[in-house]
Order: sequence, then structure tokens, then C-alpha cells
Amino acid sequence: MILEALEREGVEFIFGYPGGANLPIYQHLPEHPKLKHILVRHEQGAAHMADGYARACGKPGVVFATSGPGALNLVTGLCTAYMDSVPMIAITGQVNSTQVGRDAFQESDVIGATSSVTKHSYLVTSIDQLPRVIHEAFHIATTGRPGPVLIDICKDVQQADAERVTPERLEIPGYQPNGHVNLDRAREAAQALAGAERPVILAGHGVLLSRAERELFKFAEKAAAPVGTTLLGIGAFPVNHPLSLHMTGFMGTGWNLKAVQNADVLMMVGMRVDDRVTARLADFAPKVKTFIHVDIDGSEMGKNVRPHIELVADARNALEAMTPHVGELQAGRGQWLAQIDAWREEHPLKYTHSNGHLQPQDVLIDMYRRCRNEAIVVADVGQNQIWAALWWNYDRPGLFLNSGGSGTMGFALPAAIGAKFGRPEKTVWCVAGEGGFVMTAQELSVAVEHQLDVKIVLLNNFSLGMVRQFQDDFYGGVRSQVDLTHMPDFVKLADAYGLPAVRVDKLEDVGPAMDAAERTKGPFLIDFHIDPEANVYPIVPLGKSLNDFWEAPDK
Amino acid sequence: MIETPRDPHPPVVAARPVPTSPQSGEARPLPAAHEERVRVLSVLVEDGANTLSKISGLIRRRGFHVRSISVGPSRQAGRSRMTLTVDAGHAEVDQVLKQLERLVEVIEIEDVTGEEVHSRELVVAKVKASQVAGLVDRGAKVLNTGADGTTVEFAGEGTDVGDFINELMQHGVLDVARSGPVVLRRSA
Repeated sequence: MILEALEREGVEFIFGYPGGANLPIYQHLPEHPKLKHILVRHEQGAAHMADGYARACGKPGVVFATSGPGALNLVTGLCTAYMDSVPMIAITGQVNSTQVGRDAFQESDVIGATSSVTKHSYLVTSIDQLPRVIHEAFHIATTGRPGPVLIDICKDVQQADAERVTPERLEIPGYQPNGHVNLDRAREAAQALAGAERPVILAGHGVLLSRAERELFKFAEKAAAPVGTTLLGIGAFPVNHPLSLHMTGFMGTGWNLKAVQNADVLMMVGMRVDDRVTARLADFAPKVKTFIHVDIDGSEMGKNVRPHIELVADARNALEAMTPHVGELQAGRGQWLAQIDAWREEHPLKYTHSNGHLQPQDVLIDMYRRCRNEAIVVADVGQNQIWAALWWNYDRPGLFLNSGGSGTMGFALPAAIGAKFGRPEKTVWCVAGEGGFVMTAQELSVAVEHQLDVKIVLLNNFSLGMVRQFQDDFYGGVRSQVDLTHMPDFVKLADAYGLPAVRVDKLEDVGPAMDAAERTKGPFLIDFHIDPEANVYPIVPLGKSLNDFWEAPDK
Repeated sequence: MIETPRDPHPPVVAARPVPTSPQSGEARPLPAAHEERVRVLSVLVEDGANTLSKISGLIRRRGFHVRSISVGPSRQAGRSRMTLTVDAGHAEVDQVLKQLERLVEVIEIEDVTGEEVHSRELVVAKVKASQVAGLVDRGAKVLNTGADGTTVEFAGEGTDVGDFINELMQHGVLDVARSGPVVLRRSA
């Protein structure tokens, strides 16, 4: 019955791992060939694959896990999806309903353990609840601000006989997401932005989730307002456009931070305005007279920054409603845009490339050249993530996936695998550091088993680079527990898993290695030995304001 | 006995720790906060095994503090009415309502702080027979009289209940239990 319900919801892939408490589901799985089950090697991998799948194709990712350790291994993956508003359904087996609370074998309080990292969760103890619960779960996961929903199903319920029930009409009185726009508010917001001397728009993940890139583009062009994105909003606005401010936040571009800190009207669309965006909150955008916040989640209004105009609405609807209220030509905007151009000249992205080491940016620039605005790029967490974000060069909405809110190391490889299942026509590049990579490297088996075109770009600096940089810059230069000299030989490791790999430590070998990766059907790994001292710039020192960003030293 | 620093099997009965938390009956310090940071919320929730833990979990996770909580069935089957008094902690005060509103289990929520409401709290106390008369004069009702004391109840606004309890404390009380407030908006 569970599997039939999933078919009805249009599920194509399930990422899962069987065990004692979900055996009844797996017994019937072969009867449902439309449901393609991907056997992972660790449940965390399943959650990240479902996450990457959902981010890449927009459909909810589905995960199966057994009770106890199986379900608890999902927690990090659920949190990752929750923080980044990714639709996901996790179906976990639970011990028999009569055994709940008796500390049965592999019993754990999964609802208790996952409540704070799921949008909603259900414990199903009776077969009567099941059709309604599954239907509701998909609705809740995919509507409003999306998120993961967990369904914990007792084993006796899984094997209960029941008539096939068509789900009743949805009736969830406590869940009424509202995507409609208050039109007066929209006009007010548009006029405030249009009338500004120094407007800035910041776009977050919400713009991508509501597929509002086109509406954002129209609105920004008409208003002649520059647009920056958050880390998760990358791709929401063409990065080579004259109005682009590229990435904002404490590792954002210099010209973006200058613009934000000097803006008089700041419109924030589909974003949470978290600490990584604001840096020291008291000094965030200090010259702003009117903050405008657009988000579908009303609880984001005033959570961190109190807006003067708030629009609780779907980003696309809101931008559509605002655009007509922006006058055609924005007189007097030229000076502000010229100032931003000057900042862009003054504070360009730059990096050291004269110390003989291979620089990560050299690798990424080569990779992005090959992506040609088409490939999906999945980054892990740490320096590799920020480098990949800053050197992103797409001039049309593209897919850059990473774990922004949760910052989950080990995300990239399984998420890249999931993304490839979701968008099989796309080449998928996985950018990771060696530290995060080994946290979920076991999923290489999945990439090999299904011969997935996932190109792994390992930026190997033999240390936990971001932590090392923070220790160097902000913690007295004490390098503590960041040395990763003792790691596997990644070429041999790849060989053991059954995929081709090469090692590169010279600039001239980057191109040929990338050529080989592109030529190869199926997974390919390149172990780039990069400058162990390479740092992320710009960076705002911890606890400082966005004004205080440091730039790459000239050397 | 010589104490081994790393005894893998420590004695089952450990020495009683010196209590550091206030004894019951002592005034409990409330979380350091200004009164305007405390919200009174009337919440209609879906009955269910997870509802209370979801609400309390959310309050903890967001850094709020519960001052009082009262739950009982509402007039609608399958739904309960909760009265929550919550300190917003370090968060913006409107976050308390906004975050609770996000829970699927929460059907309706209303911030009634400072509104015209009927707010009632209940005290049940066991006192010595000699004090009963004075308490009855204050509006207490006798529930039961036994050899070991008389049980009285008193209901009223929070401040009245506070005054009543202060009086009990001054004259000695054998046992006392106090509810949190339940509130209902005053009809116009």
C-alpha cells in the first residue's frame, strides 16, 4: 500500500537502505518496477542523494531507512534539506506498534530525534492513517516553503492488509501556506525601490525554488537596480550582467558588500537574512532607509532584520505584481551604477598564482569553461564551496547546488549522484575538498554501479582548509587538528571502487585531466593537489561588519 | 576506601549531591527578561501524540522559555485549547507566535497579551484547620476537611492568586498546587 501510494504521487526514484523494520516494504518493492530503488551505502548518503535529486529536478526526493540506527543516520541529511528548504519525504520503519516504548531491538524515538529538522513528521501506528498521511506528507513537503517530511511507519502497519484506498480530499487546518500577494504592499515596495537613489536587490534560494529568475530579471532591469545573490541564490541572476553584484555575505564580492553597505533601499527576496549574509547585524546595510522583505515564510519577517515593507508571498507572484509599478526609465540611477562599476574595478576577485602551486581557482576556471552554462555543479562545504561559488560564471539561470544553511561536509558526492538521477541529460561536476569527500566517499559505489556521469573535482590541500584559514586569521594562528596528511591515495581509492582517476599537481596538467574526465563515460575523479596555503577571499573577519572585508593579498 | 579516578563500575548508590537548585516552595527566579518580552498566547491545537512535544521542542529550540502552560479539550472534538505564557528570550517577541504558527499541529493562534481577557488561575492548598476561616473570607472554597488538614481552592487573576499564596506562605501551608492561567477574550 505504501508503494502504491508513492506511485500515485509520481515518485520515480527512492534512495534507501533496507533493514529489520522495513522488510515488509522491501518484500513488495520488486512488484513495482516503476519505482527505481537506489541502494545506497549509508543512510546519510540516501538523504543527500534525495536532496540533490530534489534540488536538481524540483521533485521531492524520497528516502527509505529502517528503524533505529538507519533512521538516525538520516538526521544530518534531513537537517541539510530543512535548512535549505528542500522538499523530501523520508519513510522510516519503526518497530511494531505494540513494541513502541519497550526499548525493542533497533527502536529509537525517530520523531523526537527529527522534529526540529523536519517541516513535519508522522508516526503511523494504524493502517487507516496511512493513505491520508502519505498524501498529506507530499503536499506539505512540496508547497509553501518546501522542506523534508518524515513518516515513521510501524512494522505491523507495513504488513497489514488493507483495501486500496484513494486518498481523501486534503484537509490540513493547521497548514495553509499563502503565496498570494498583497497588491497594495507590492506597489508600495516597487515604488520604494524605484524611487531609491541607491537601490539593491538581494535574491535567495526562494527565487530559485519558485522559479522566479525570469521575473527577477525583468523587475531588476526595469527598475535598473543591481542584484546580488546569497550563496544559495547563485543562479538566480546572470552573473555577467552589468547589474550583477554576484554573491553577498561575509565571503561575498567586494563590490557587492560596498553596494549593500551604501544602499538606501534594500529589497531581500526569498531569503532568511542569516548571519552569513549580515555579518555583524548592528552594522548591516546601515544607510538603508527602507528594508523590503519578500518571503513566503512569514516567520522570516523581522526574525533578523525588521523590514519596513514586508510581503509574505511566493517570490514569483511578488515580483510579477511589483514589476508594473516600476517606471520605465529610472532617472538619476546612472551615478549609482557607475559607482558600483567603480567598486567592481577597485575590488575584483583575485587570487595568488605566482607561488608555484596549483591554485584552486585555476582548476575551477577551467571547469566552468567546460560547463558552458549547462552543467550542474555541486559543491561540498568549506573553501571549495566558496571558491566554486565565487568563480561561478553562468550568464543564465543555472544549477549550483550546495549545503548552505547547514554546511554539511560530505554533501557533494551523494548530492551530485542524486542530481544526476534527477537530470540525467546533464553533466554533473562534484567539487569537494578531501576532508568532506571522505565523509561520504562510500557512495562512489553507487556512481560506479549506475555508471553515472559524475566528474569529481577534488581540491586536495591536505588540511581542513577553511578551519585552517580561520585558525590562521582569527584564532591566533594556532593550527590545531587540521592536518590531513594521512589520507588515502585517492587514485588508488578510486581504482578500488572501480572508477578511473588521475592526480594533478601542475597547471599544465589541468586541461588534459579535465579532457579525460569529459571523454570518459561514467564517473571520473581528479585529485588536484592544490596550494595548501590557498585561502578564501574576500572574507569578513568573524564578528566584524561587512565594511571590514579583507581582500586577497597582492603577492 | 581509596577512590579510583576512573572506576568503570562506580557504586550504584552515589553520595547525595548538594542541591543547587531552589527548594520547592522557594520563589523561583524567572528568566531575566522584561515583562514586555512575555507573551500570552491562546492556541488551538490538533490532539495527537506529538503535539505537546512539538510545541515544547520548538520553544526550546528557538531559545524561548515557558512560564506557564495549560491544556484542556476545546469545544471541537479532536482539538485542544492551550494557554501558553512564553518568554521570547533573546528572540524578537513576535517570533514566538510566528514560529508556533508554522507548526502543522497549530490550527489557530492568538496573541492576547495585554488584551481584554478573562484570565484565571487555580490554587489548591492544604492548610491547618485554624486558618480556614480567614481564607474563606478571601474567597477560598473548602473542598475537604480531614484529620491532617483542610483542603481549599481559590481561583482568580494571576495577581490575586499570587496574593493568596503569599498569605498561605505567611501562615504556614501543608501543601500547595497552582495552575497556569487559562484565558478567554472578554466579550465586547
